[in-house]
Amino acid sequence: MTPVHFSFTSTFILGLMGLAFHRTHLLSALLCLEGMMLSLFIALSLWTLQLEATAYSAAPMLLLAFSACEASVGLALLVATARTHGTDHLQSLNLLQC
Amino acid sequence: MNPYVLTIFLLSLGLGTTLTFASSHWLLAWMGLEINTLAIIPLMAQQHHPRAVEATTKYFLTQATAAAVILFATTLNAWSTGEWAIHQMSSPATITIIMLALSLKLGLAPTHFWLPEVLQGLNLTTGLILSTWQKLAPFALLLQISPALNSHLLITIGLLSTFVGGWGGLNQTQLRKILAYSSIAHLGWMVMIVKFAPSLTLLSLLIYILMTTTAFLTFKTLSSTTMNILATSWTKTPVITALAALALLSLGGLPPLTGFMPKWLILQELVKQQLPLLATLAALSALLSLYFYLRLCYAMALTSSPNTLTALLPWRLTQNTNPLLLSATSMFSLMLLPLTPTIMTLLTY
Repeated sequence: MTPVHFSFTSTFILGLMGLAFHRTHLLSALLCLEGMMLSLFIALSLWTLQLEATAYSAAPMLLLAFSACEASVGLALLVATARTHGTDHLQSLNLLQC
Repeated sequence: MNPYVLTIFLLSLGLGTTLTFASSHWLLAWMGLEINTLAIIPLMAQQHHPRAVEATTKYFLTQATAAAVILFATTLNAWSTGEWAIHQMSSPATITIIMLALSLKLGLAPTHFWLPEVLQGLNLTTGLILSTWQKLAPFALLLQISPALNSHLLITIGLLSTFVGGWGGLNQTQLRKILAYSSIAHLGWMVMIVKFAPSLTLLSLLIYILMTTTAFLTFKTLSSTTMNILATSWTKTPVITALAALALLSLGGLPPLTGFMPKWLILQELVKQQLPLLATLAALSALLSLYFYLRLCYAMALTSSPNTLTALLPWRLTQNTNPLLLSATSMFSLMLLPLTPTIMTLLTY
């Protein structure tokens, strides 16, 4: 495992663990998701650079575009949650469980 | 919602699934999944209701996580083997991670907790889309990677899903949660068999979609979301109520109805693969599901609720909805069993 390989893998796994276990604020969950997507962006762009695969040079940009859309949807949901629940605590999202 | 905007969202919903179907490259498949998720979110949150928003938030977090994990596993695979094609996955670790992410996306057993809550927060039309159309794209990926998957993992996930689906539904009175648990149990049957006979998985998925469409459209016609409302539905639409009881028994898998077909063929295939214990456990777990379908039928067809006379004999208004889809899917979910050989011939490849 090369250092590059190790660094993006550990970044992704840290983001995933943060998303899964640190469940206080919705905003921090969205930040963890964004961190995961950025680690994937780094992985893809380094893969393209290392293999000099010109055909794949658009792939990181596509990934970044999709992750930006995803982040904007997440922020819209953050606003919607703040308007309906009054807070962004994930603990307060408890209307549906029974 | 504005019809133009609604058209755009529905078209992108179709585009996402089609893109995943058509792709042989993991990045494109991931884009299809993302488009799918992003397109259904405005449909889910179109009523600015606290429960709808909460369900949308939960759905978004799970689906985005699952899609990111799928892309992570494929990127790892590309770093180690340089391969992006869906068919040629060889590394077992990658395939296992992808399978777990797909089971999070589909709502299979260890990662199923979001599905009942999300379905409970939606209206019945969006719930129908969520439990039928949204399952297709992950299943297309699952069928493509299934030859390389570990059969022990699949059997564990499948058996756990059927039991959790049965047990979870036992204590519910909300129809949408019952349908969510029924979805978990049915998907468990499909995942159990995907390694041995992919054509049977396709068959089960097709028939599950038909039966779930029937159930959701019936509940939409009766505008019922709890069991209590079902108890007086015979006064409004007697024929639909009678057919709905049969459709629920078909979901449970009773013999003369369509729902028996996938269960029968799956059990036969499991016995053929020298797994009689697994077949027995799966058949026993179907009893758990059958219990809550039977309870729904009991509330619908076998009891008359103690209401006043005016509540029991309301004026029947003509329905303005087009009954074509409901009648077609009801007939399919009740009477397809004699066509088993034809359907199997169509789906075997």
